[in-house]
Amino acid sequence: MAEEDDPKEYRWETGYEKTWEAIKEDDEGFLQASVADMVQRAKRKRQALKQGSQKLGMMRHLFLLLDCSESMSSQDLKPTRLICTLKLLEIFLEEFFDQNPISQIGIILMQNKRAEKISELAGNYRKHIKVLSHLNRTNLLGEPSLQNGLEMALSSLKLLPSHASREILVIMGSLTTCDPGDISNTIENLKLEGVRCSVIGLAAEVHVCRQLANQTNGIYNIILDDNHYKDLLFQQVDPPPAAVCLESSLIKMGFPHQLNNEGSDEPLTMCMCHVDSTEDGSKLTSGGYYCPQCFSKYCELPVECRACGLTLVSAPHLARSYHHLFPAANYIEVNFNNQTFVCFACQKLFGELDKQVYNCPNCKKYFCIDCDIFVHETLHTCPGCATNPLTFQIALTN
Amino acid sequence: MNNIVLPDETQTDSSSDDETSLVVVILDSNPGQKMLRDSPHVLTHCVDSIIAFANSHLMQKAQNKLAIMACHSKTSQFIYPGQGKHTDVRQVDGQYEVFTAVEKITKKNLAKVLTADSSTVTKESLLAGAIAMALCYISRLQRTKPPGATLNCRILVVTGSSCSASQYMNYMNVFFTAQKQNVVIDVCALDQHLSLLQQGCDITNGLYLKVPQLQGLLQYLLWVFLPEPPIREKLVLPPPLKVDYRAACFCHRQLIEIGYVCSVCLSIFCRFSPICTTCHTVFKMPALPAVKPKKKKKI
Repeated sequence: MAEEDDPKEYRWETGYEKTWEAIKEDDEGFLQASVADMVQRAKRKRQALKQGSQKLGMMRHLFLLLDCSESMSSQDLKPTRLICTLKLLEIFLEEFFDQNPISQIGIILMQNKRAEKISELAGNYRKHIKVLSHLNRTNLLGEPSLQNGLEMALSSLKLLPSHASREILVIMGSLTTCDPGDISNTIENLKLEGVRCSVIGLAAEVHVCRQLANQTNGIYNIILDDNHYKDLLFQQVDPPPAAVCLESSLIKMGFPHQLNNEGSDEPLTMCMCHVDSTEDGSKLTSGGYYCPQCFSKYCELPVECRACGLTLVSAPHLARSYHHLFPAANYIEVNFNNQTFVCFACQKLFGELDKQVYNCPNCKKYFCIDCDIFVHETLHTCPGCATNPLTFQIALTN
Repeated sequence: MNNIVLPDETQTDSSSDDETSLVVVILDSNPGQKMLRDSPHVLTHCVDSIIAFANSHLMQKAQNKLAIMACHSKTSQFIYPGQGKHTDVRQVDGQYEVFTAVEKITKKNLAKVLTADSSTVTKESLLAGAIAMALCYISRLQRTKPPGATLNCRILVVTGSSCSASQYMNYMNVFFTAQKQNVVIDVCALDQHLSLLQQGCDITNGLYLKVPQLQGLLQYLLWVFLPEPPIREKLVLPPPLKVDYRAACFCHRQLIEIGYVCSVCLSIFCRFSPICTTCHTVFKMPALPAVKPKKKKKI
């Protein structure tokens, strides 16, 4: 059995833990400070695990397999599992495209033993959110079919060029799946194609999902509550390590810029993204981005040129992903011993409450815990290193 | 000026009194920048203008907040509100005490920074780091503000330095963080055109202005950078320049329209090379003659 070589043991198999002893009251009898402290420590721990590995699957192609069966109407998540999921997915999509601007997502529904692709692989999150918002009122019918869903995702992912990172994220509310054939063959195929499948279970652990995730190097997790659910979803935002079979190649891309013919106004033209739709965006506009190869106009980047197939991006889009590759160095926790009286970044005065301060290994400046988290989660640049001419490029050279 | 500022006051009064706006001014005091090497006394003029600008900001509303930073050659520092406690400032000539305090503390701390180190080795100021510090400061204020209060933050960078691609990643990181935190970055270029910082202004919806005449610095600061972002829409400000977002290739630092991107580390090259110079990935050789077939694959 796979479970035997799985190092993670279940909670009920571990030793007896006195979890309540970890929480201590502060002087005024409140628990809040102690809990907040634990949350921060957990955040730091997670951050420390992230190591800047040089090889990541940066051009991600992710299929979202969403269970829309009867089980999603359960009310253990408020108001219902489906509505809670949709709300979280909306935030997830925005964050995902913020962090992975040249990646693509597609959405597949699993409903009534069938799989239905409601959104093709695309890089525009507004389109996906629009599709998701219509799901609110779908009828939640029957059982899902995991196999059909996976097969459908695989058939699209197969066609992608070899340098693309292929992923599937399954959100499974049901404890059963109703499949037409042997699902282990499907899992075998996914493995061969190098598709990484992760599963988030909303109910309880299911053997087939565990198998799927283990075989394809994905992650399988069961949610505890909606906050945990959000955490698990956001784990998927960071690009995964590149799959072994991932081929590296140079990809031809276009960097369009707005035409600047000085003095004269640009003519009113239609952009290629809205040319065949009758919705609001389809208007004649004067500005836009022009494909350097075929001069088709687009109103938004990044996009794949419809006429010549060139991927069009702007330089900041690529730059947005650089921090995954060149992360700021992790700070070292040291006991506070009057090394400095103020946090270098935020100017917070250190007092008796600060038992630990955080030291950057490169620039040797001291920071408070809030700045430590802020620098590594959001900023990705150490303020101490970036203000010193000796260290400001250190992230690049490491 | 009065008739422009007035609508803002009536607006905020009716909506909420808890609205505070914070301006972090980053003054580039690096003695290595060209402008200061040519004529060091310009700095005095800049400091005076900035103090006047800072006081006008504080004057607009009692809740308004201010921080001034100096970006120096080897480090950056907050010079107002400085570290430690300040001695009480008494009223002089009927001037509002806070104004006197701003002027005294700023000048005192700036003098400290300037005398501590005056090497003119580094030509390029490390503005990205100073902005990063300002963002940490802002995020602390956002964390500790009383619940229900709103704090609108912006950063004003006043610099005569040039900018090159060496800080590109740090710049991009701070711009995207600022965008996420709703912090507006304004840039007032005194000497040279700054294309990277201009991109930052565009990303965060800030204003970029290259001052045509240094003599009139205060005028530009007051007219262009003093109004809050919501009011700016109603003013006739210098028209935004078109920002050039073309990428520079890693091999020759030239702006390119069509380039090749490494699928592993996203480095940009202007022509095909078998090995990525950044991450040392070896690319499949067959792709070399197959530049055309690759195109076909995508179509």
